[in-house]
Amino acid sequence: MGDLQEVARPRIAAGQLAQHIGQPVCFVGRVEKIHPTGKLFVLSDGVGKHTTVELSEPLDEEISGIIEVVGRVTNQATIMCMSYVQFREDKSPFDLELYNEALKIIHEFPEYFPFG
Amino acid sequence: VQSPGGFGSPAGAQTEKKQRSRSQNIVPCTVSQLLAAEQVDETFRICDVEISQVTVVGIIRHAEKAPTNILYKVDDMTAAPMDVRQWVDTDEAGGENVVVPPGTYVKVAGHLRSFQNKKSLVAFKIMPLENMNEFTTHILEIVNAHMILRKNLTSALRAPPAFPAGISDVGSFGGGSSLPVNGLSAHQSQVLNLIKSCPVPEGMSLQELKLQLHSMSMSTIKQAVEFLSSEGHIYSTVDDDHYKSTDAE
Repeated sequence: MGDLQEVARPRIAAGQLAQHIGQPVCFVGRVEKIHPTGKLFVLSDGVGKHTTVELSEPLDEEISGIIEVVGRVTNQATIMCMSYVQFREDKSPFDLELYNEALKIIHEFPEYFPFG
Repeated sequence: VQSPGGFGSPAGAQTEKKQRSRSQNIVPCTVSQLLAAEQVDETFRICDVEISQVTVVGIIRHAEKAPTNILYKVDDMTAAPMDVRQWVDTDEAGGENVVVPPGTYVKVAGHLRSFQNKKSLVAFKIMPLENMNEFTTHILEIVNAHMILRKNLTSALRAPPAFPAGISDVGSFGGGSSLPVNGLSAHQSQVLNLIKSCPVPEGMSLQELKLQLHSMSMSTIKQAVEFLSSEGHIYSTVDDDHYKSTDAE
């Protein structure tokens, strides 16, 4: 699959996964559940829609809160994760709903926020 | 006409009649916009909007310390990570020379550069984000700034376009030619405009600001100064009470 870091990874909400099958994306969401095998977890986006994120290797740490995933969208509209980071919330909680609003705006005005 | 070295604007009348939207502020940008910027002589343009000082928010993917500088690769997902170089003050101990670790989200304020067709940033400030909502705000500020700057190229300066509901307004500006591109509140822009207008090398002191801004309390002024400093609009000079604008006037 290769390193996706060198290409544009559009930020999307769960509702847009279907339009990005096979493509690199960046998804931010809240951890809802983690599969016992550690090879898959579910994130919810700013409007509460769920997305399944799959890993090639099981998680080696506990994850919680807000996670930003970079990966490729599978045919089943899940995300095959290449890398992830946890957003810090030690000082302030992250407003996921506001982030969703921002996504709507960048998708409405791609000329002012280009990916690639 | 001999133009001065450094940041002074060239003497003499501006002969170019071509209409341009010159941004004298720091413009929030995506890495993709910076990579697409076209260079003509010494200036860069993104869709005809002139840019120089920019802010970028992204995650550090790589950090390499050299004797005189730290080279970071900053990734905002819009393109490949961008090289960001921060010169270190070799005389200064501690503070300024701390390397920000990979995996940290930061806001970078700096100048766009191009060398052998490769774009990079020279940062004058790299601030780890403590509140990740600033990352979301930066996204919104980018759209707002570029929309306003581009629209000003095609029409006379007019009231800023209404921002979609649910987002707090960009902030009103009391007179002057400043473009409301940075989401500054009325207090912040008043403080910034005063600091910008100060010609002395050591900049404007908090006491002078208080004298000129009768209606603003010292704590409001200090809050505005702290915000402007963290956004890269101003910097402290002789001490923490004196500030100058980062704009090259």
